[in-house]
Amino acid sequence: MTTMQRELRLSLNQTQRVRLQSALQQLEEMTSLASAITVVADTIPVNHEDSILKGHGTSDLNGEVVATLCGVVERVNKLVYVRAQRARYKPEVGDIIVGRVIEVAPKRWRLEINFSQDAVLMLSSMNLPDGLQRRRTAVDELNMRSIFVENDVICAEVRGFQHDGSLHLQARSQKYGKLERGMLLTVPAYLVKRRKQHFHHLENYGVDLILGSNGFIWVGEHVDMNGENHILADQVSREDMADKSCVGQVTQEVHERITPLEIRTHICRVANSVRVLSALGFNLTVEVIVDTVEASISLNTDIKDILAAEFYVQTAEREVQRRVSLSRKKG
Amino acid sequence: MATNPSTYSPSQSSERKQLQQQRRRLFQETDWTRFDGRGFQQCRPAFLKTGAASAASGSAFAAFGATKVIVSVFGPRESKKAMLYSSTGRLNCNVSYTAFSTSIRGQSSDHKEYSSMLHKALEGAIILETFPKTTVDVFALVVESGGGDLPVIITCASLALADAGIMMYDLVSSVSVSCFGRNIVIDPTSEEEACQDGNLMITCMPARNEVTQVTLTGEWSTAKINEAMELCLDACSKLAEIMRSCLKEAASAPS
Repeated sequence: MTTMQRELRLSLNQTQRVRLQSALQQLEEMTSLASAITVVADTIPVNHEDSILKGHGTSDLNGEVVATLCGVVERVNKLVYVRAQRARYKPEVGDIIVGRVIEVAPKRWRLEINFSQDAVLMLSSMNLPDGLQRRRTAVDELNMRSIFVENDVICAEVRGFQHDGSLHLQARSQKYGKLERGMLLTVPAYLVKRRKQHFHHLENYGVDLILGSNGFIWVGEHVDMNGENHILADQVSREDMADKSCVGQVTQEVHERITPLEIRTHICRVANSVRVLSALGFNLTVEVIVDTVEASISLNTDIKDILAAEFYVQTAEREVQRRVSLSRKKG
Repeated sequence: MATNPSTYSPSQSSERKQLQQQRRRLFQETDWTRFDGRGFQQCRPAFLKTGAASAASGSAFAAFGATKVIVSVFGPRESKKAMLYSSTGRLNCNVSYTAFSTSIRGQSSDHKEYSSMLHKALEGAIILETFPKTTVDVFALVVESGGGDLPVIITCASLALADAGIMMYDLVSSVSVSCFGRNIVIDPTSEEEACQDGNLMITCMPARNEVTQVTLTGEWSTAKINEAMELCLDACSKLAEIMRSCLKEAASAPS
């Protein structure tokens, strides 16, 4: 129960503890996880007559396969590897990630993405705000801070590895770029599985949800992708107008930029739902997150109480029910 | 206060010396009970727990009797720019003491060498080739110093490294013994360390039967060293079992 103790210091009462334990036990039985847990230097039992491939987190000692990580042993055909629970994110080409800018360097930004090294986003591998395809000039380089500055949160795609092992990103689409007016959550990277869609617009709540493969999750106010350039142009023209005309228009503009309270509460609700799911160690898919949010609304749970003991236990029980019904459908 | 101020003697320190000498005499005899009622070959009860610090990539807490240590591991993260390219990872260790770790406040600063000793003890166990260009930082904080600090720090650090998901050949466990005249005493407390004749610390990887560090100080005879080493290695492998069960317990979290 490490994750729980680490992220939420809950005080469960007696009945809640019993309920939680029974729920977790049922989950454990369904996955038969307990047998596969391994610790550094444990021998992993393999059938030596079959040829096996030793994968990540394993090494060879006197002809035995030995784990070099703590985690869960996974077997895929011949391949045997250890999946560590608290290890860092391991990028793959094409992953959609969320990161934070830590440095503006010549022609590039450096991003923290929970990888063992910093990721690099080259100026040349992203679309410019004016949307034109052209060579990047020295002027563009000087204006880099007008695009992203330090501590901005960015969404991008993994482009590939350089020969020296450093990681390059790209942001060649309208959907990538700076993320504003929202919250960044960090969860263990293994909880986010690679899927077709990582960008989600929760229409009921007016919230954008980006599940970065690196375990960084963005919950923010919905931004209309197509309209963005339009808005930008709009702002420019308005600023021109504001220069000329009265103060009233300026205040109106400021007013429009403020995220309404309703959206803010929705953002917090979604964010807390993600937190409780990650504390329980459940995979984060948009369906499960929306499910949790809806449950919290239908149970009249306060936003802050989503992180309290009662909802935590209920979430665990709901997951059991979900998996039971899933297995029934399959069977 | 003395009524006559013309002469004075540093009475307190001489008193302390006397006390120590008395203890020393006691230690030369073959049969005596230790301060905490243990036998000569009994270690202090070990309490280990991972996940002590939430901000770190991995962390562990260890309490061996009065000695309490928190170790946090950060990384692997990108090395500082000033460092040159290296195909293997770097290990950076730091040991610090809290101001209240000893009975007399602020008297625990003479452990400068612990950082490098911790580094030496761990670097053999970590597979540094798996994270080129990057650094792993290990920060150990001694909350309470109750003797045998370094072995506890090393044991706790290896647990924290395992918790952080850093590739290692094996867990590292460490045990020290003190020598008093004819006696060998395992896992000494700070009172015992204060009047020991010699000290031996062994750091090893029990599953692979490899020793990563041996530190020997003071007067020893060859026969004694052999005896002490065997004692240490045996204790190390038993300690590693406790570490394993601790990690196993932590790993069976809901997933």
